[in-house]
Formats: sequence, structure tokens, C-alpha cells
Amino acid sequence: MLAIDRRLFTHANWTLVGFTAALFFIGVANLYSASGVRYEDGISIAPFYQKQLVWGATGLGCMVASTFFDYRHLRTMSFPFFLLAVFLLLLVPAIGKTVYGAKRWLDIGFFSLQPSEVAKVATILLGANLLSRHKEPLRWRELFFILGIAAIPCGLIFIQPDLGTTLLLIFLLGGMILFHGIKKYVFRTCCIAMPLLLPLGWFALKDYQKERILTFLDPSRDLQGAGYHITQSQIAIGSGELWGKGFQEGTQSLLRFLPEKHTDFAVAVFSEEWGFLGCIILLALFCFFLLCIVDTARSAKDQFGSILCAGVFFYFFWQILINIGMVVGLMPVVGVPLPFLSYGGTSTIVNFIMLGLVVNISMRRFMFKMN
Amino acid sequence: MAIEIGFGTDKYHPPRSGIYLLFGLTSFLFVLFVLRFWYLQILHGEEYAQKAHANRTRLERIYATRGIILDAKGRLLAENRPAYILALIREDCPDIPATLAQVSSWTGISLPALQAKFRQDAARVKSFQPQIVATDIPFEKVSEIEQQIFMWPGLIVETRQRRFYPHGELFAHIIGYVADASEKELRADEKLALGDIIGKQGLELVLEDRLRGTKGLNSVDVDVLGRQLNKRQVDPPLAGENIILSLDIDLQKAASEALGEEAGAVVVMEPDSGKLRALVTHPSYDNNIFTTTLSREDWTNLAQDPRHPLQNRAIQSVYPPGSVWKLIMAGLFLEQKIDPRAGVTCHGEVHLGSHTFRCWNRGGHGFMNMQQSIINSCDVYYYEMAQRVGIDNIERFATACGFGSVTGIDLPHERAGLVPGREWKKKRFRESWQGGETLNVSIGQGYTSVTPLQMAVFISALLNDGKILKPGLVENEDPVVRGMLPMPLPHRSFIVEAMRATASVGTARRISRPDAVMGGKTGTAQVVRMGERRVKSSELSYKHRDHAWMTAWGMKDGKTYTVVVMVEHGGGGSSTAGPVVARVYDALFGPAPGQPRPARGSAPQGGANAVGPAQELND
Repeated sequence: MLAIDRRLFTHANWTLVGFTAALFFIGVANLYSASGVRYEDGISIAPFYQKQLVWGATGLGCMVASTFFDYRHLRTMSFPFFLLAVFLLLLVPAIGKTVYGAKRWLDIGFFSLQPSEVAKVATILLGANLLSRHKEPLRWRELFFILGIAAIPCGLIFIQPDLGTTLLLIFLLGGMILFHGIKKYVFRTCCIAMPLLLPLGWFALKDYQKERILTFLDPSRDLQGAGYHITQSQIAIGSGELWGKGFQEGTQSLLRFLPEKHTDFAVAVFSEEWGFLGCIILLALFCFFLLCIVDTARSAKDQFGSILCAGVFFYFFWQILINIGMVVGLMPVVGVPLPFLSYGGTSTIVNFIMLGLVVNISMRRFMFKMN
Repeated sequence: MAIEIGFGTDKYHPPRSGIYLLFGLTSFLFVLFVLRFWYLQILHGEEYAQKAHANRTRLERIYATRGIILDAKGRLLAENRPAYILALIREDCPDIPATLAQVSSWTGISLPALQAKFRQDAARVKSFQPQIVATDIPFEKVSEIEQQIFMWPGLIVETRQRRFYPHGELFAHIIGYVADASEKELRADEKLALGDIIGKQGLELVLEDRLRGTKGLNSVDVDVLGRQLNKRQVDPPLAGENIILSLDIDLQKAASEALGEEAGAVVVMEPDSGKLRALVTHPSYDNNIFTTTLSREDWTNLAQDPRHPLQNRAIQSVYPPGSVWKLIMAGLFLEQKIDPRAGVTCHGEVHLGSHTFRCWNRGGHGFMNMQQSIINSCDVYYYEMAQRVGIDNIERFATACGFGSVTGIDLPHERAGLVPGREWKKKRFRESWQGGETLNVSIGQGYTSVTPLQMAVFISALLNDGKILKPGLVENEDPVVRGMLPMPLPHRSFIVEAMRATASVGTARRISRPDAVMGGKTGTAQVVRMGERRVKSSELSYKHRDHAWMTAWGMKDGKTYTVVVMVEHGGGGSSTAGPVVARVYDALFGPAPGQPRPARGSAPQGGANAVGPAQELND
């Protein structure tokens, strides 16, 4: 069963792999443009695109590795893995590294581990495991059971503090629950209760988090910080117009967002250089990429695999929505990277592992007939 | 939320509503962002393109003027002078290496040094903000640069304010200095930007918050070529506070001249207000070199100078107080109900166990009561009495008088000195206290150490109802009472009267003057244990010579001043510190009527100021 079967190979979701490759190489080209221009001898910043290629290769290896075993083993492993994630999160306040006033990283010798990334994977796995035990839409009791378990990592990440990841985790699980389905009366009550609970959340926020939301509503509040980014990001995107300024020809985004242009604001660089047409193509690629995951969710051979795919779908969906939403000025500035376009080691590798899971599920969708 | 579950087949079918949800969300994402990009790039594209090309908005800081520092009579001690700097806006500069090379040839700074600094700073300054490449460019150079600068887009000449201290060395330890904020300071204070100057030493450091002010913000519209089109003030800058000190330049100068080339300190304090009128430490350094370009060589020279010019000897150096300490001991004896009329006969030495403790006057003073013991600074009296009160009482009483703790002056790195005791010795040496050590402590030797400022605060407290005041440097601040001397009025009066007598007929005779009421106490603090015999200072090498102390107060026309002089390795208190004190009072009260003061170092003249050979080695 662990041996690679030729049929497994043919059943793999190759379209998904193709779209991923396209997005990844667009991202590398974009990084090349963002870091290559107008940096004279001596002051050029580190060539991020080269490092990103290394991360991509590593990610590809991890992706292939995560297709080798039958994904159904993950079901039994999901609970211990979840406990491990919670344990790592508990270590953070004790021995974590403080960066920019927040403790989010664990230093383990050769590299820094972000336990909240582990928690994302763990939550998807455990969520899929728990949800696949129910054939029917969830009742109150079942819903609260799942939410109660998810509240542990959410709470631990919230106090780091890392609002972006906390919300991502909540949205992720919420999406998976909706995908599985909840009883109509539960759904209705939730629809009414949510808007009432939101204002309560405001009081749990830290001052700088409130400030970010207020800055989003009124960019002139913080002309040098986040507000400046929002304004300048819109000028960069807007000035791309229909055709864009061309590869490596962007002036605005390159010079203005020195600190973030290769990570959170990568898509602003792209929009300025490739214009509206380029943006449509990029969005289309992202949407086809998402639809490929939906396709595997639909054709998976069991409920666990299907819900797991939905989890991966939401993992990417929310990141794309929040990141592009932030760059185009539709959402507050929160540090969420754009999959494949933003530079980043851990996130690139986790992205590829997530895809590996989907490919894994697609490969084995006919398995029970063959064996 | 209709849910369908695939019964009957062996293939699993996910709920159709779930699949629809994913399709729906994907479509929503696409439509939402296509619309938004259309809005930004097509509908308002031209507008943004214009903004991008023609009007680029830049935020510029407006520097706040740092508060100036004045002396009590309103004369400048720290001011701001314009200085020219060259800054580079990277975004506007087409050829940075060539520009840097040009800057190097203008300013004479070596190109590698310029490049290294540029590279280091580039990470901290945004590409559209001016990054400083050269500072303190002389005016003649500026006019030359201005003629050619149009050929170097991105390069600008700016004026900044540079700190200047007109009296350099005279106030260096009090004013301190400013310098560029370091990496660490920039990280700690988000209001600071690269190239900002902040206080690093002295009052510039302690009063940083009041002196600094708040930066303003200009919003500048710039065209593609970097030309300024339009400037709006977003926030006005707020100048720092000007600060008037209690110090007086004339007096400071006079005190400094009185001290001459000697290493040491002079403190002039007003007892009733606690204000310092002069605070001199020698040797000094020119604090202006820190605000311009302090080279590594300058710094090494200063830091490794064997005379330690960076040390503020009035507050950062501790010395054994010598016989000046007898004033504190007398206060304790009175508290312990020792009759001031009761006496001790001094034969020039006291035996305790196998040790012999000697009086500075080897021939002995004969019968001494408490006042006589102060006037003649008789050691034997204190050896005897100290054995009666014990070290625990000495430690408690001296601590209550303010010794062993800082005075709280508004200057950094003040030292507390030490009042030794049993516990301290256990901790420090793991040894128990020896009886002989009590005798050493009683005459201000042994482990006892104080700063000249602590002494001035103590003498001032004697004259000011026993109130221990925080020594004030800033003129318009109310006195701060930090404690009370453990001495009732009769005790304080006794000591003040004894000091008066000492200044008229005793070891402090040198400072007496007919037009003022004077009091004083000398001290000669041994640096090294001399063994059996106390050696005349002039026979010793400089490093082993005694420290000379003189504490004094003087009253004339309703004005009272405390003066404390400490001359490091100066020799005898009376012979070395005495003339310095006298000169300081000349500056305070005008020259003493009668005979002119002898020049420093010359032999004492006859008359009232003459001191016999016995006093030459006095205490």
C-alpha cells in the first residue's frame, strides 16, 4: 500500500499541481522585480527570489513526501498531533522569542518554529476527524464540542498576541463546519447571535489592534505608519492602469514599501507592473487553484478526505481574501501573507504540505475499489 | 442547509450545500477583487497615475529646537548653533556611488568610511527620506557645494542645529554633552529618528525630556525630479524648555582658578535653599568635542588619561574624609550624653592591644575638651571617646547624617560612599569587626569614604535647622528636604561654634577674614597606611600623598555660603585646601580687607594668616 502505484500517479490532481507551479513562479518573478531594481552596488537588499526558490524546492520535497502515505492514517494521528501543537503553544510564553513585542517563535537550534503554523495544520486535521464522525448536520451539542476544543489553540495564539492568526483559525474552522453543515435552527440562531457578539470582541483587543482597525476606517489617523501604507498601496495599484508599467518598471511600490513590499504587499508590486489585465489573470489563477481543491473535495472517497480538502480550501481562501483585501484597501492591515507570492520560509513550506494532502486525497479517490 | 448523504452507493458524496458554498466563495473572491481592481486601475487609474508621477507626497520632520541652558545670571552655558549637513534622498539619486565619491572629495571624508556609514544607515532611513551623509560642513565649503549641487540630484544641504558649550571645560561635568542617538537608544524610544541628537551625560542626559521638545511634521509634495511643489505644516514643532541653573559662571571660574592645576573638587552651596552656586571638578575636558566629531583617538585619550578628566570628583569619587569627620563624631558624642567639658589628656598616642594609634601631633596636645579637640583636631580625644560609643552608634549616626547614600543631585552616576559597620564587614570580608577599626573610623580613616558634595550637604544642614536638602542645580525649583540631621539645636550650635573657633584660632585659621563670620574644619586623609610614623606629605610621591580637605561656612551681610574643597593628593588640609577656600570666599564676599592673599604655593606670610611649623603638618 505504501509503494507508489502507477494508478496512484495517474489519478493525482495534476491540474492543481500545474496551477500551483504557475502561481509560485509568478511569485518568484515578482520578488525578482521587487528586489532587483534601482539598488546600486553595495546597498542591494538580499536577493529574496533566490531564497524563495530554495524554500520552494524544500516545499516541493515536503509535498511529495506528504503524498507517500495513505491520508487515512492522519485520522488516527490527528489527536496526538493536536496535543503536540497545544504543547508547543504552551511553551511559547515560557521560552519563546520576543519579536516586535509579541512572543510567537520558538528557537530550536537551526531554525525558528512558529507554533501557530503547526496549530493551523493540527486544527484542520482534528476538525476533519471530528466532523467526519457525524453523518448528519451538527446539533448544538456537537457544534459546541468542536468549538470548545478549537478554543484552546485560539486562546493561546490570541494572548501571544497574534490577532491575524487567531481570526484565521476561527474562520478556517467555521468554514469547515459550514461545509459539513449545521442544523437549520442552529444556523438561524447563529446568524442572529453573531452580530450581537462582535462588539464584545472589541474589548478583548489590545490598543494597537484597535488602532489598526480605526486606521483602516480613517487612513489619515496614522500618516506615517499603516495609513501611509494603505494610501501608497492604492496609488501603486491604481497607477498600474489597464496594461501596467511592465516587468521591473514599477516605481511606486518598489520605493515606498521598503519593509513589506516582498512580503505582505507583494501583490501591490505585481498590480503596478502588470496592470488590470495582469490582476485578472492572477485572480483567475487563484480561483482555478481553489476550484481544483474543491474538485478533490467533491471526488474524495470518504468523508474525512472531503472535509480535509475543505479545510485546505479555507486555509488558502482566507489568506488570499485577507491579504489582497488589505492591499487594495478593503480590510485592515493585518500581517497575513499571500500564498506563493509573499516571501517566507515557513509559510511556503506549510502551503506545499497542505497541497500535498489534497494531492494525496485525489490519488487515492478510487482506492477502495482497487483494493 | 439541505444535506444529502450518499446512501446506497459505496462512493461517498459530500453535502451538496458544502460544495456550493466553496464554489460561491471562490466566485465571490473573484468578482469582489476584479471589481476593486477595476475601480482602482480603470475608473481612478489616471488619477492615481498622476499622483504617482507628478505629485508624490513626502513627510518631512521639522526639528524642534533643544532648550538652552543658562547660568543664574542668564548667561549661556549651552546653546544651539547652525551646522550644515549633506543629506541624500536615495529615491531621487540616479547614481549613488558617484554621488558618494563627490561628497568624499568635497568633505575630505574617506570614501570607504562614507560608503560603510551609508550602507549601515540605509536600512534605517526610508528611500524617500533624507539620509545624512556628512555633518558639520564649514560655511566656506557649503557655498562651494551649493554652486555645484544642481548636478547631483537627490543631494541636499540642510541646516541642523548643533549644540555648543561656550564655557566648555568649566562646566563639562555638569552640563554633560549630546551626541547622535545610538542604535540601542533608537530602539528604546520610537520618537527618535536616525541622526537625532540626545543627551548622553550630565544635565543634558538627566533633563533630556525637558530639553528635547517635540518634532513637527511637514507634508511636502514633490514632482518626479524631486522639486518641492508645495509644503504644508501638519504638526508644528514644539521647542524644548530653556533651563536656568543656580550656578554662577563668575564664581565657577574663580573657584576653578583657586584650585589651579590640582586635581580635586570645589562645592559652593547655599545652606538655606540647597542651591549649588559652583561645582568644580579638576581636571576637566572640553565637552564640545563630543558634539562635533569625536574621533576614536580623542576618546581613548580621554578615557585612558591617568588623571581621569571624565570623572566628576565632586560626586563620582569617594575619599576618606579625614579629620572633617570629627564634626560628625562630635555630634554623636553629644547625643550619647558625653559632657563636652570632660576631657582627655593627649600624649600623642593611644595603645589598643598590640597596636599604637598616633595623634598627628606627635608631641601631644595635653588636656583637650570637645571644643578644643575640634579646634586642634586632636586624634587622641576621638580614639578615647569612640571606644565609649562603639561602631554601631557611629554607623547609625553617620548614616542618619546622610553619609553612605547619594545626595540625589540631578546628575548621573553619583556615588554613595561608605559608612562601614559590622554587617558590611561580614559581607565584604567575612571577618568580624576589630576594635582598632573603630578608632580609625573615628578620625575619618579606614573604610569610611564620602564625596565632597555629601560633605557640603552635611555642613549646609548644620546651618539650616538640620534639614538635609537635595543639592539643587536648577534655579527655579523649590528646595527638597531629604531628611533631618539627628542633632537637636544645642548640638548643632555647639558644632557651628566649634567651627567658628577653629577658623579663628585653630587649624582653619587661614580662611579667617575681618569682614565676615567664618567657620571651618580641615582634614588630611591618608591614602595609604604609613605604619608607625605619619610622614610629612612633601616627602611622599604624588600617588601616596594625603588628600586635603577643608569644609567651611561664611556669613556676610545676611548671606551664608558653605564651601567644601577637596584636593586629591594635595597634602595638608590647612596648607593646601585652606587657600583655595579663602579665594572662593574672596570671590563670594569681595577681597578680604587688610593683607592680600599669598600667591598659591608660596610660603605663608606673617600676621594673622601665618601658620607655625607644627601646623604645617596639621590635620
